[in-house]
Amino acid sequence: MDFDFSEDQEQLRDAVRKWVDKGYDFERRRAIVNAGGFDRAAYNELAELGLAGLYVSEEHGGLGMGPVEAMVVMEELGRGIVLEPLAQTLIASAVLQTHAPAALQSAWLPRIAGGEAIVVLAHQERGARHHLNRCQAAAKEAGGQWTVSGTKSIVPVGDQADAFIVPALAGGQMALFLVERGAAGVKAEGYLTQDGARAAEVSFANSPAQLITKNGQTALEEAADIGSACVCAEGVGVMDKTLAITAEYMNTRKQFGVPIATFQALRHRIADMKMQLELARSMSYYASLKLKTPESERRQAIARARYQLGNAMRFVGQSAVQLHGGIGVTDEYIVSHYFKKLTQLEMTFGDTLHHLGEVSNRMQDTAGVFA
Amino acid sequence: MDLAFTPEELAFRDEIRTWVHANLPKHISDKVHAAQRLTRDDMQTWAKILGKKGWLGYGWPQQFGGPGWNAVQKHLFEEECALAGAPRVVPFGPVMVAPVIMAFGNAEQQQRFLPGIASGEVWWSQGYSEPGSGSDLASLKTRAERKGDKYIVNGQKTWTTLGQYGEWIFCLVRTSTEGKPQTGISFLLIDMKSPGVTVRPIKLLDGECEVNEVWFDNVEVPAENLIGEENKGWTYAKHLLSHERTNIADVNRAKRELERLKRIAKTEGVLEDFRFRDEIAKLEVDIVALEMLVLRVLSAEKSGKNSLDIAGLLKIRGSEIQQRYTELMMQAAGPFSLPFIFEAMEAGWQGNFPGGVVANAPLASNYFNMRKTTIYGGSNEVQRNIVSQTVLG
Repeated sequence: MDFDFSEDQEQLRDAVRKWVDKGYDFERRRAIVNAGGFDRAAYNELAELGLAGLYVSEEHGGLGMGPVEAMVVMEELGRGIVLEPLAQTLIASAVLQTHAPAALQSAWLPRIAGGEAIVVLAHQERGARHHLNRCQAAAKEAGGQWTVSGTKSIVPVGDQADAFIVPALAGGQMALFLVERGAAGVKAEGYLTQDGARAAEVSFANSPAQLITKNGQTALEEAADIGSACVCAEGVGVMDKTLAITAEYMNTRKQFGVPIATFQALRHRIADMKMQLELARSMSYYASLKLKTPESERRQAIARARYQLGNAMRFVGQSAVQLHGGIGVTDEYIVSHYFKKLTQLEMTFGDTLHHLGEVSNRMQDTAGVFA
Repeated sequence: MDLAFTPEELAFRDEIRTWVHANLPKHISDKVHAAQRLTRDDMQTWAKILGKKGWLGYGWPQQFGGPGWNAVQKHLFEEECALAGAPRVVPFGPVMVAPVIMAFGNAEQQQRFLPGIASGEVWWSQGYSEPGSGSDLASLKTRAERKGDKYIVNGQKTWTTLGQYGEWIFCLVRTSTEGKPQTGISFLLIDMKSPGVTVRPIKLLDGECEVNEVWFDNVEVPAENLIGEENKGWTYAKHLLSHERTNIADVNRAKRELERLKRIAKTEGVLEDFRFRDEIAKLEVDIVALEMLVLRVLSAEKSGKNSLDIAGLLKIRGSEIQQRYTELMMQAAGPFSLPFIFEAMEAGWQGNFPGGVVANAPLASNYFNMRKTTIYGGSNEVQRNIVSQTVLG
């Protein structure tokens, strides 16, 4: 039982925090949003810190780190509401490393680690909502070459990424494929999402694909759980900063001749925000520390964490806006951007009701951190 | 970062588990698992069993005869006791007054009082709240005037939990009205058999007499019963509060009660009702999150690296969860929680409970009783004031 971070982990945290504070201020972020919600240069700066290769083994040019380091990094990126999709890189490198044939690994992992290639998960379909087992996209094999057809929505940086990890049905079974964006029949239409980041509607028409694994359901669940652990950690970082911004505002803003931090109704709201933050932080630890446990234990833990985090993110975001008053609903002031990020995170890799359903379905007679 | 207990900690847990199962009387654990009424004798029996083993003062350092366990070991001990259905250790002696006597009492007081607390022989009560001093405890008025080698105590305490069984009571008394209210308070130990002490039980909304009023009418207390220095009592009381940290969350009991809630829901046919089942699922997440919060505090205490100033959060969340599981248990039984048959809450009652499930008898009473948890020990609103201070200054 030990929740202290190692010295290496603290150094990693410091390095990322320093980059966020010095290299990714609110003005730069705003410029990136105005330019389309993604900046390859900023992504490359993350890669230069080694973060794109965080999960990639040293053999393939990465850092070979684990879920706790990923959590530390995502928390810090959350504090700066960084738009560039490092979580996607963590997911893609984990999926390829665990499931892809060796040739595919050597072709992509070093380039992912170096930041030369961005690979993202393209799994969301209109009819699937949050169910990972629902898939319409289909794959065919002819003459040793796979092709994929179908449409995937809200694919992070979908018109900028170099390749996609695509779930598609192969002979009635879900399999995962790697499809390059430049491949024939791939069309990506990009747009902004509510948090200022970039996504795309991506369609595939008999697009050449490389098989990652035929065990697609298992691999996709793993990918989603890694993504959920990232959501938790990022959410903690966003909330941590949101609380700090709100506290500072309350100590500065005066009404009735005194700082609004003196009003008990507002103080109790911030105490409730602190409660939600600490419960969320606890459950984020829980999610990351359970990521390598057997499947049923992992899935249950992730669902529990996401239920907690979803409620926390919504409460902290809404409360921060409310405590700011009018300035909280402006685009100019920073807090509304934190609120929108928290709102979007809640709907990424399953929303709160979905995860509550998972917890409910998986309930046993006894329950606790270890059961 | 590691979520697992060490092999040594697991071995420790197994040792505790084996011992508790071998030594906890079944007639007592049966009552606890069914939330039936515990008698003074039930509580005292378990206290003395623990006392004989040297574990009633399970939080005590070795120099005072305790086991000298660290934070994790204490937690594991509490967990094994709770899951096995042991009655809660009545905290006033071993958990509340003993640490104050150890930290601020003199050697004579330590020799005089600690053995009776450690063995479970002497029942202690707490004399803090007064009719006019609830959340504003420092405004307390019970007066102790020094006359030679005695204090003469006059005043009234209230909400004295299980004070009807009390043999000794530790009190905050006013010894000075100068300066700030906090600076005129002293910490005094009073023999409840002293002439002038009157105890009157207060019947609560569930029909139980769990708390009492205690009157002091010219009660003579030997000056040697003063702990530490006169007018420093507030500091000592705050030390006491800092002593109960993780166990105020009572998460181990919540885990046991969550199991009971599921059993009740199954019996009552609502476990497969989605609307009800989801409420249990939410509570399950709440309890896991609280347990993680507790484990974080324990880890910080063990390593001494990152102290977590979140005792207020533990109190708020723990008490809300206690209220929630009793609420859901009552709702699970629905109308069959409504018959108010006092004797049906006793073990071994042979009557016919309406609906035929006698396990439903205490559910509404338990729900009513648990409303106290967000009020006592510093109301949750006071706790929010404290928490907000950590954020806003």
